[in-house]
Amino acid sequence: MASRILIVEDSPLITEAFSILFRESGYDVDVAGTVAQAVEAATTRPADLILLDISLPDGDGLDVLEQLRERNAFPRVALAMTGHGDSRSRQKCLDAGCADVLLKPVRIGDLLRQIEHLLA
Amino acid sequence: MSMKQQVSDAALTKRLNALEAKAREAQKTIDELRSRDALKTQFLSNISHDLRTPLAAIITHAEILRDGMLGELNQKQRDSVTGIVNGGQQLLDMIDEILTYVRSSGDQVPLVCTEFSIAEVVDQVRLLNQSLAAKKHITLERTNGDDLPLVYADRDKIKHIFANLIGNAIKFTGDGGRAWVSFSRRGADENELLVEVGDNGRGIARDHYELVFREFAQVDASPSRPHHGTGLGLAIARRLVELHHGRIWVESELGKGSRFFFTLPLDVPRE
Repeated sequence: MASRILIVEDSPLITEAFSILFRESGYDVDVAGTVAQAVEAATTRPADLILLDISLPDGDGLDVLEQLRERNAFPRVALAMTGHGDSRSRQKCLDAGCADVLLKPVRIGDLLRQIEHLLA
Repeated sequence: MSMKQQVSDAALTKRLNALEAKAREAQKTIDELRSRDALKTQFLSNISHDLRTPLAAIITHAEILRDGMLGELNQKQRDSVTGIVNGGQQLLDMIDEILTYVRSSGDQVPLVCTEFSIAEVVDQVRLLNQSLAAKKHITLERTNGDDLPLVYADRDKIKHIFANLIGNAIKFTGDGGRAWVSFSRRGADENELLVEVGDNGRGIARDHYELVFREFAQVDASPSRPHHGTGLGLAIARRLVELHHGRIWVESELGKGSRFFFTLPLDVPRE
């Protein structure tokens, strides 16, 4: 069965691009644009990997991970994406349980290789 | 009191009042300009941030096409789509530079200081620039610095200074040239670190020593100039050095190369 990726990102432009990318690479794809939607999606349709934008309209992307942890629904792998790469916000993501923090825009070759490696 | 003195006192009071009113007016103008400047900075920051998202989507879509994920492209199609990716990436770098400039130019820029090896930071930036340097057969080396004490500074910002200086060195040095970073210590107690980022590239005329550090200034600003950029790289570097209470300057000779220097205090109290 194909692995499921949940894309948490508030820009439809980005979710659409990533949806095409992951579907064409053989993954099942779910999308959420807010913290609330992401928690709902991840608890009803558990994802193997969550790709998480850090700034969301209703809160911090890391809130999603915290709420999922409380509900015992933490995904196998969480990857954070951020627009700026300062080391303080990076450390915050790693502390919250993210496997890595990617700087937007993510090079698709690197992203696919990393996801394949993390889900292997 | 004589009549004459009464008149001159009254005239003096009147003049004083007028001056005070003028001073209040000037202060009001200053406040207004400051708040407009802050608004403009905020606007620039917001717009730069908002430009990133659609641009990131464009680059991702173009990469999907380029990599043949939606079907194989012929060579001409692939070249064209590669052009979209590269152009998008260049535009994104420029937006990021503007964002960095805006974020480092406010009144209150926080420094997140830690202890780290500055030589290690230089090596990281060298690694990031290696392929660019290799393309032009430029040797990019760090000549010393293994035995330096740890510096106490904002690592991301110091890295940014090196990225801009080393990036420039490669940009303005011809095929087969040389660029280097070296360190020395100065001051009575050797409590100041002097960093040099040098190259044997095209150099800068003495008249332009100050100009290159000015915002949006480019020595060659013609539309046909070979090197495009925001003209913010050195202004950012200067700003970031000054935030660390250091100084930055250039020594250069046209046709022979440039040596950029900056200082960092080594005796910063640890918090």
